[in-house]
Amino acid sequence: MSKILDFCKLCFTFGQLLLTIMKPQFLFPSWCRWLGLALFLVHLPVILICKSYDIHHSSTDTGLFSSSHLFFILTVVLMVSGLFVIAFSREKIEDEQIYQLRLSSLRWAIYINYAVLILGLILIKNNADYKDILRLNLWVPLMFFILLFRYKIFRLNRSLSTED
Amino acid sequence: MKNTLRIERAIKNLTQAELAGLIDVSRQTINTIESNKYVPSTVLALKIARVFKKPVEEIFMLEEGD
Repeated sequence: MSKILDFCKLCFTFGQLLLTIMKPQFLFPSWCRWLGLALFLVHLPVILICKSYDIHHSSTDTGLFSSSHLFFILTVVLMVSGLFVIAFSREKIEDEQIYQLRLSSLRWAIYINYAVLILGLILIKNNADYKDILRLNLWVPLMFFILLFRYKIFRLNRSLSTED
Repeated sequence: MKNTLRIERAIKNLTQAELAGLIDVSRQTINTIESNKYVPSTVLALKIARVFKKPVEEIFMLEEGD
């Protein structure tokens, strides 16, 4: 019992520490957007090559770092980290309006994500397809966030050019 | 909330971009504040008031229904 209590205390102090060192608005520098785009674009041809040569099913070795699993990790990590970095890189002028747009886009992205998730859970009966929901869940919030955020910024800039 | 930002800017002969540069925001933000599409935070309102050397109430005022 005391061990559990100690563990809880440890977690609590660690959490406190994390909160104090966390900046209130942590974002990647703005050049990271291009890095993210590059990572995302690199993953597409890799996926295509994989599909055309059917690499997924050709490997026979098992274990955590079998070639197919390693390949899967590589492509998924490339895609997700690319999207992640694009989504959370700083704008050139990051002011409070951009911050507000970012938050509202993120909120809508989460709404959409959960709508897709819940629909998927209702409609999919086959157990094997649950992995696809997970895979979908990996990129849907980030992708929708990026699209919404970019669209809002585009609309903001367009209103500027018509008025001034 | 309405504001007299555009008038104050004309009096001081500042462009949107110049005002934006003075208070570290984008030109879009100044533009949307002027067209009443965006309500600035207290900090930003105070910064704008400081640029024009006027109290905040003279630049930003409540409308009926606020």
